[in-house]
Amino acid sequence: MIANADALLKPLTIKGLTIRNRVMSTSHAPGYGKDGKPQERYQLYHEEKAKGGIGLTMFGGSSSVAIDSPAAPWAQISVADDSVIPHFQRFAERVHAHGAKLMIQLTHMGRRTKWDTENWFPTLSSSARREPASRTIPRAMDKNDIRRVVKAFAEAARRCKEGGLDGCEISAAHGHLVDQFWSPSVNERTDEYGGSLENRMRFGKEVLEAMREAAGDDYVIGMRMSGDEMIADGLSHEDCVAIASEYARAGLVDFLNVVGGQARDELSHAISLPNMSFPVAPFLFLPSAIKREVDVPIFHAQRVTDLATGARAVAEGHVDMIAMTRAHIADPHLVKKLTEGHEDDIRQCVGAGYCIDRIYVGGDALCIQNAATGREATMPHVIPKAETTRKVVVVGAGPGGLEAARVCAERGHSVVLFEKDDKAGGQINIAAKATWREALSGIPRWLFAQVQKKGVDIRLGTEATPDKVLAENPDVVIMATGGLPSLGHAKGHEHAVSTWDVLTGKVEPTGTVLLYDEIGGHNAASTAEVLAKRGCLVEMATHDLQVAQEVGTTNKPIHLRELYKLGVVMSPNMELIEIYPEGNRLVAALRNTMTGAEEERVVDRVVVDYGTLPVEGLFGELRGRSVNDGETDLEALVAGRPQRWTGADGFALYRVGDAWTGRNIHAAIYDSLRLCKDL
Amino acid sequence: MTSSALSLAYVVLTLAVIAAVTAGRRVRLWRVGRPAAVNWLHGVMALPKRYLVDVHHVVGRDPFAARMHAFVAGGLLGGSALVLLTLVPALGGSRLYWALIAVLFAAMLIGGAMVGRRRYPQKPARLSGGRFQVLPLLLIGYATGAFLAALDAALAGTVWPLGWLGLWLAAAGGLGLVLQLDRGPMRHAFAGALHLVAHPRDGRFEGRRETALLPIDLDAPRLGTATPADFAWNRLVGFDACIQCGRCEVACPAFAAGQPLNPKRLIQDLAAAMVPGGTNANYSGSPYPNARPVAGRGGPEQPIVGAGAMIHPDTLWSCTTCRACVEECPMMIEHVDAIVSLRRFQTLELGAVPEKAAAPLAELRYADEPQGRPLKARTDFAAGLDLPLIGAKGSADILLWLGEGAYDLRYGRSLRALVRLLHLAKVDFAVLGAEERDCGDVARRLGDEATFQRLARENIATLATHSFRRILTADPHALHVLRNEYPAFGGSYEVIHHAAFLDELVAAGRLDVGALGIGVTYHDPCYLGRYNGEIDAPRRLLDRLGLSRVEMERSGKRSMCCGGGGGAPLSDIEGDRRIPDIRMAQASATGAGIVAVACPQCTAMLEGVTGNRPEVRDVAELVLDAVEAARVKPVARGVETVT
Repeated sequence: MIANADALLKPLTIKGLTIRNRVMSTSHAPGYGKDGKPQERYQLYHEEKAKGGIGLTMFGGSSSVAIDSPAAPWAQISVADDSVIPHFQRFAERVHAHGAKLMIQLTHMGRRTKWDTENWFPTLSSSARREPASRTIPRAMDKNDIRRVVKAFAEAARRCKEGGLDGCEISAAHGHLVDQFWSPSVNERTDEYGGSLENRMRFGKEVLEAMREAAGDDYVIGMRMSGDEMIADGLSHEDCVAIASEYARAGLVDFLNVVGGQARDELSHAISLPNMSFPVAPFLFLPSAIKREVDVPIFHAQRVTDLATGARAVAEGHVDMIAMTRAHIADPHLVKKLTEGHEDDIRQCVGAGYCIDRIYVGGDALCIQNAATGREATMPHVIPKAETTRKVVVVGAGPGGLEAARVCAERGHSVVLFEKDDKAGGQINIAAKATWREALSGIPRWLFAQVQKKGVDIRLGTEATPDKVLAENPDVVIMATGGLPSLGHAKGHEHAVSTWDVLTGKVEPTGTVLLYDEIGGHNAASTAEVLAKRGCLVEMATHDLQVAQEVGTTNKPIHLRELYKLGVVMSPNMELIEIYPEGNRLVAALRNTMTGAEEERVVDRVVVDYGTLPVEGLFGELRGRSVNDGETDLEALVAGRPQRWTGADGFALYRVGDAWTGRNIHAAIYDSLRLCKDL
Repeated sequence: MTSSALSLAYVVLTLAVIAAVTAGRRVRLWRVGRPAAVNWLHGVMALPKRYLVDVHHVVGRDPFAARMHAFVAGGLLGGSALVLLTLVPALGGSRLYWALIAVLFAAMLIGGAMVGRRRYPQKPARLSGGRFQVLPLLLIGYATGAFLAALDAALAGTVWPLGWLGLWLAAAGGLGLVLQLDRGPMRHAFAGALHLVAHPRDGRFEGRRETALLPIDLDAPRLGTATPADFAWNRLVGFDACIQCGRCEVACPAFAAGQPLNPKRLIQDLAAAMVPGGTNANYSGSPYPNARPVAGRGGPEQPIVGAGAMIHPDTLWSCTTCRACVEECPMMIEHVDAIVSLRRFQTLELGAVPEKAAAPLAELRYADEPQGRPLKARTDFAAGLDLPLIGAKGSADILLWLGEGAYDLRYGRSLRALVRLLHLAKVDFAVLGAEERDCGDVARRLGDEATFQRLARENIATLATHSFRRILTADPHALHVLRNEYPAFGGSYEVIHHAAFLDELVAAGRLDVGALGIGVTYHDPCYLGRYNGEIDAPRRLLDRLGLSRVEMERSGKRSMCCGGGGGAPLSDIEGDRRIPDIRMAQASATGAGIVAVACPQCTAMLEGVTGNRPEVRDVAELVLDAVEAARVKPVARGVETVT
């Protein structure tokens, strides 16, 4: 049992609304909205958390109240007309059926959105100052705009109430319209909405007053706000405390949901959504300070990944509700696991930021380690038992193999897991060696603990051979042998070493190193950090427009910050065309992808990252003896049907993860979950 | 009649007179006790039944001992009585009559031999040595002697040397027995008989459980027991009735855990303490495990408890009040009453409670809750579930008494299962919410009778303001207090335990249960099984869930305590092992994957056991599992094959 668990499991009553415990999920935009409405996928995603015991789940991050704040860019929700109400009603029924409460976030994005989408209206703000993140130059609102938007907030609040939602919050954080009025970094007005803090607070007060009038004073309305914008020309901590105090004193808010920072540019965005390079709960001091000044409940989210930290935050009185939003994406059942005494089974968020990074490039939020999240209609969070138990052999204990073994064991099958290394984890063990990426090791750690607990016969340090596999007399064999790094196809590539060689310590480069990356992922960037920290002079070349191009928005700025700090030379738009030795050094030839101009570097090492190629040896030896020739029925996989082969007259052979083709951790885990859940 | 036989009659008569005088000395000791109301006529009339049925029901659990005792006691008392009657000439002259006497003493001889066989060459640890080791010799001597004398008389003096030899043997053996009547094994016979007649809880012989602690007058000049003279006289008789058979010692969980409590030794210390200048030096049974040093001296007006007295306080505070000793005692001694009475003096008069128990008692005094938590937080466990308050509802068929377990994270889970089941079965129920105070169980067992009585009165006053038919609780301690101990303060309720209630619901078809098909062993809570006799309903309920149920080596009314009763987890007296570890080992030994519990204390104690062990599940959780199993029938799926 974690310390202070009882503090988390106390109900909280806000204006007659009783939330069953102190654990919540804040409003976010998972990209599941459809036609501007929270439909089945969105609802099932939150229903799973309600099933899992959460007290309050808030959905619809940045749900728009007006048609000039487009909902389309992140597949978000529009509360700008009454057609959303039936969806809210169905949503609320689903969540309430499991005893949890449901709220939404309402906002007008102001300048923090795009004009070239949906209705193609100009963006609005307090003043005409461009936001770097969205790149829009807004129009300064006139009195008509203010009147219209205030009314839109009020109408939206009424829709929430009619939709049976338990409450709502307005977003005045991350640079939305309300805080665009508050923040001197945006507001340059000279009328009654600008100048003094009192004037800058006016717009937001009018919004909340109108919402209260429309929804009734008994309806729970809160506000998400920053506790410190952490920029020189922005709101100071003292300003934020003053705002919180004034809004609470005026009875405008029933709770405050406090975050640290803002999100107007790349790095501040990454800081406001802290990844695994940050300590846990890095900004807890901000809600704590505001809680001292106000008498409404305080909520807080920001990298609270474990219940013990959340429990401490509540028990010590820093906050009233602790939001574990990403933690619920990793494990929507974490409260239930706590209350039922299975907290050791909680799959803890590692802070990879995979969920968020996907939505900022227009994708849907998916968890790097839990392939069922966001796929509740097709993928189970609790694996049902199979009717027929089978003998399953899994080869390889990387994330794909571990997940396959876990799911098969949960199904009730008898599972043997071979791993030639003496430690489970596969490629994650290598990735986790790179500086701040260490937290990735939490992924195999959980999986390994689960397969141990479920009684999988784990054979570490045992390389599978056809004889060893067949000796188990299996019904199903799953190849999760992963991949090995490719050294690419440049002339003289045999002179290069891989990022793996560096991270595993197989080579220990010194002097000058050219690191060439064709993947644009974490691998090369984090290897460059390792090399530079060891004292190498590193140039990182890539044929992308930027180094770490494929890394998402909450992680890339951290890589760039580190690379700049370490003096890594970044050379984008370069292709590696040849490597040849010269004396005891190497010459690497690079060609500019735009101009075609060639350059040479004389270096001590060339390190390359071209991703991995599948390890296929054992698969090749076994496929002829399998009943399915190693083929996977893709249509059955997508339809959620069992594979065609029963294994009655021999074994069926499948591939998952990088053994199938090199992709990423999520792909490996998803391959295994969707194959094995129907075995 | 032969002259040796006639002499035997006079020897027996003499022995009877010596016995009466010796016993009289002991009777004088008992008179220091406080007066007790005794229905003498009823007691004397009921004695044969109490002895032959109630006592032998207990003794008979050890069939060898039962037969041994029947032979010895029957032969000794029957034979001796018939010998006395030979002073009536018509009987003394009958050879047939003497043959009958010879048969009786032959039976006693067999019994005496059995006593010897039990003690030699090696006596079981639970039996006392010392004077008890001589007992078979004396019994065999007396029986052999009387048999020979009677045989000679039956044969009309044809074996007269044997008759005379027998006379001397009988005189020697008999004298040995009666001379230590006040301190030796034979004391149990007359003290035990009197104890049965004047038993302080005579309802036990009328089929009632009689397990409620008896209230004390808080205005009395002395609260609880400090000296032997503070006990009622019939309690002192009870201590003297102890035959040191050690069955209590075998049953005692604290003894098994190596805590400094041995119920047998405790009773012997109490018996020794009532003698002026008394000493514990003559005790020859198993000691208190890890015994704390005491002076071992006492007297009728001397303190019993203390390092300078007879019993160390740690001994008192080791008791879990599980009543296993009482349940096992063939002499019907009330150990737990004695312990609580001694605790009352320690707590109420001296304030000498164990260090870790002081804070909970203080919180109970000031906050009506042993950890000082707000009473309204008692319903926190159910946040998100509909938990109707009786204050808001007006009335309800069932009042759900939540108890202390509601504050506990683990037991909250069991209670949530129960609440969900009540809703599923459409039970009209409600809780008191913030109006529910602690029931007072722990305060009372820790000797704080004043706090208990106040809590009882206040709870009774609260309950009087609400309308309900029955009280339902998942806490056997609360059940016991509400059902059995509140009536003394004017609150009489029909109280039902959740296992019995769920059994009713399932039997009535109000809960549709599927079969769980897993192995389970049921752990009886002491306050449900021994205190309230409820051992069938939980088993019936589990059997309805399609579980394969196995019993532990100790179960039912002879079940072993989890270590959680009587405030023992608060007093926390150090031993060699933890009681719940011992109990869990018994559960593990059954091979069942689940140990089913029905009490918040048992849940907490057994959940605290580390290592590889069966899972601890409350019966309500298992019922909910079964209800869910019935609702989610697996969907049959066609097996696809390659064609």
